[in-house]
Amino acid sequence: MRFRTQLRDSRTFSKLTASLSSLGKVCWMRLEYEVIRFTIIPDQGTQVWASIPVGTIFDETTYQLESNSDAINIEVNISVLNRALRSAWGSTHTQLRLTKKDRTPLLALTVLSSEWTDGNMALATNNDADGLGDPNPVAPTDTTGDQGPRERQTWITQEIPIKILHESAVEGLHEPHCPDPEVHIILPNLAQLKSISDRFTKLASTDSKSRQPGVMAPDAPGMQSVSFSTAGASTAATALSTNSSPKLELSANMHGSLRLAIATDELRIASVWTDLVNPPLDPAQMSQEQMSQLPSEVNRKRDASEGFESGWAKVRIDGKDWSRVLSIGRLSPKVVACFVNEMALVLYVYLPGNREGEESCLTYYINSFTT
Amino acid sequence: MTSLSLSLGPPALVRLHDALICLSKFSETVAIEAEPDILRLSALNSTKTGFASFAFEKGVFFEAYSFNSSNSGRSGNVSLDRFFCQIYIKALLSIFRGRIDKNKDTAVERCDMELHEDLQQTECRLTVRMICGLGVIKSYKLTYEPAAIQHAIFDKSKATSMWTADPRFLKQLIEHFSVSAEQLDMYSDSGRAVFTSFTTKITEGKEVLKHPVHTSVAADKRDFQEYLVEENMHVAINLKDFKAVVSHAETANATVTARYTRPCKPLQLEYRFEGVNAEFTVMTRGQADNDDAPTSTRATIPRQTPVPVPISTIRPRDPRPSVTPSMQMPPPPPRSRSIRPLNGSSTQENLSQKASVDRPAASGLSIEFDSLFVPADDDRQWDEMNEEEEPQDILGWDASGTQDAFGASIRDAEPSFSKQDSSRVEDPEDEMGLPPTQRLSQVRHYGLFD
Repeated sequence: MRFRTQLRDSRTFSKLTASLSSLGKVCWMRLEYEVIRFTIIPDQGTQVWASIPVGTIFDETTYQLESNSDAINIEVNISVLNRALRSAWGSTHTQLRLTKKDRTPLLALTVLSSEWTDGNMALATNNDADGLGDPNPVAPTDTTGDQGPRERQTWITQEIPIKILHESAVEGLHEPHCPDPEVHIILPNLAQLKSISDRFTKLASTDSKSRQPGVMAPDAPGMQSVSFSTAGASTAATALSTNSSPKLELSANMHGSLRLAIATDELRIASVWTDLVNPPLDPAQMSQEQMSQLPSEVNRKRDASEGFESGWAKVRIDGKDWSRVLSIGRLSPKVVACFVNEMALVLYVYLPGNREGEESCLTYYINSFTT
Repeated sequence: MTSLSLSLGPPALVRLHDALICLSKFSETVAIEAEPDILRLSALNSTKTGFASFAFEKGVFFEAYSFNSSNSGRSGNVSLDRFFCQIYIKALLSIFRGRIDKNKDTAVERCDMELHEDLQQTECRLTVRMICGLGVIKSYKLTYEPAAIQHAIFDKSKATSMWTADPRFLKQLIEHFSVSAEQLDMYSDSGRAVFTSFTTKITEGKEVLKHPVHTSVAADKRDFQEYLVEENMHVAINLKDFKAVVSHAETANATVTARYTRPCKPLQLEYRFEGVNAEFTVMTRGQADNDDAPTSTRATIPRQTPVPVPISTIRPRDPRPSVTPSMQMPPPPPRSRSIRPLNGSSTQENLSQKASVDRPAASGLSIEFDSLFVPADDDRQWDEMNEEEEPQDILGWDASGTQDAFGASIRDAEPSFSKQDSSRVEDPEDEMGLPPTQRLSQVRHYGLFD
């Protein structure tokens, strides 16, 4: 069993691990020849299955993997990995390898951090030195406390304890199966979506304890702004679901509309986005006929004039969990949200900057809460 | 009567606040020592493995500073002019918090602190007055308590390894360490200074993922202003202490110097800025000797610093006069003998005063407080006091060199010795580990950590 590679893009790797670590601590990392898979299945909340082509984060020319089962499965504390990767920011030379110490398997991250320094006082000018700034570094002298400007090199080693998982231990793990979605839509700018969602969640949290979830009647179509209305009109109050944190209602249709709403006894708010894209499905994966049977395509064909009630698919999701999911926004990805009405929300998160070959895709499975 | 008054300008106030924040990372209480030329704030952590001290110079740091000790009138002996007390750091910090660096009209323009201690007064307080803009004056009165102030002693001249570095550089090193790391090991390896963070907490077996991350950072020697360190000698200190020092040094923009000798010997971090001398003496761990410690660095049981030298045992107003002496009662090892004379000069006045002030009530007190240590028997009770004071008396004469300085009060006490304690004559030979003629300056070289 052998794994060793140089990091190509430690920033992306670091951001990826940061986003993943918000969902859970223990991450199953599966190293394969072509892709690296990250899976987090928390006890409750959203699970994520990520598949990242080796070249996105690692340097393919130095990527070495040897294993009897053609893959290495490890369990790692993803937040620890993320913390360690912070040392690699701005470094030109970062190596990650599997090793062992005192019979404990480790992921060893070795970083050569080089940065330009003014010399005087041995200060670093900034943390983002890319090491390419000066092709002709001043020849270093041997005196301690060298006062001239020069390139400073620091070696950093981070040894992250991991657990090796046998292939049989992960055989039973597979991605959840979902019915065909009724609606799929590209989400708007995640930063905006997150700030509005967080705002809603906060408003509902500060609300009285006697808060009860209410079903939100859709407001006028095409509304772009946030609307407030007092409670009382049509609050179908039911028992609070198991988790006490506020639930957001997210709904969308196949005509480019996405609606984010929250309702409590005291307030009801909704934001609606229009003119979003409902991406076409990949014709390579199924026949035209099969595709036209899909509920989403049926919905797409519905005329908008049929009324906005008909084509909507809705899910109820935990506000805080949703906020953690949206932390993937730091990688500025393209996100396709697939709505299975009243059941689940599946997010396909495509990272930007894909080169040829397989795409980096993270799949989030979010359960819908029942009212 | 002892009085201390000082004034701080806004920049000094910021410095004082920063220093208090740093001290609060070591202990909950700050020890305040006033001397004619120096005000020292110090903190000793609960395990006695870390000692932080800031000495503020009279002329540079303060706008005004005056200190009058009760003793000065009588003796004129400068070395005795000290005042000790301790204060809960949070209480002090809450006064300074948010008072500084405001662009408001009522920003603090000056801070006056006053302390008057009078034996006749039942209530003594530290008074802090913030003189703010627009004529606003905020006054605070803080309670303080008497303290047995302890200093860690570190002999710089004996340090065999030292390095000097910019705090921002050190901060960059620290940033690589995981938040939960507890210890910092440092050593020199072929031209590189290696800093490794580790955690001694052993989490067994199944909880593999909770094992701490080992981080090691190898920096070029040239990144230090000076780096004279014995090759391959591992010395480990508490990372939290190191972080506290570095982050404070960074705010002060002062270059940090570390000095040390061997593992399990103390290490001192020091820097100076703007009339402040900051010293941090921390205990190191590691392999004490190649022979007698075959265990690895990680497994080595942390050694505590020896109990730091009490330079002031008790102040006169201390309501429990015999507690500290009693704690020293069990036959101490030779070393503690040798450092004990340090009690001498600094506490001379206190002890002698205590003798006169407290003795009338002594029998009652001893029953109340000392029963754990001595039977409530008059003769033994005098033995007790005797053992404590005698060496100090004798050494004290030599150390101060001015016998007349406290003659009056000592004489007050002495008759009671001779009258009531018949065994006193024999005691010196039994108890004394030191020739009574040894000078204090000599004694200092056998400091606590040697």
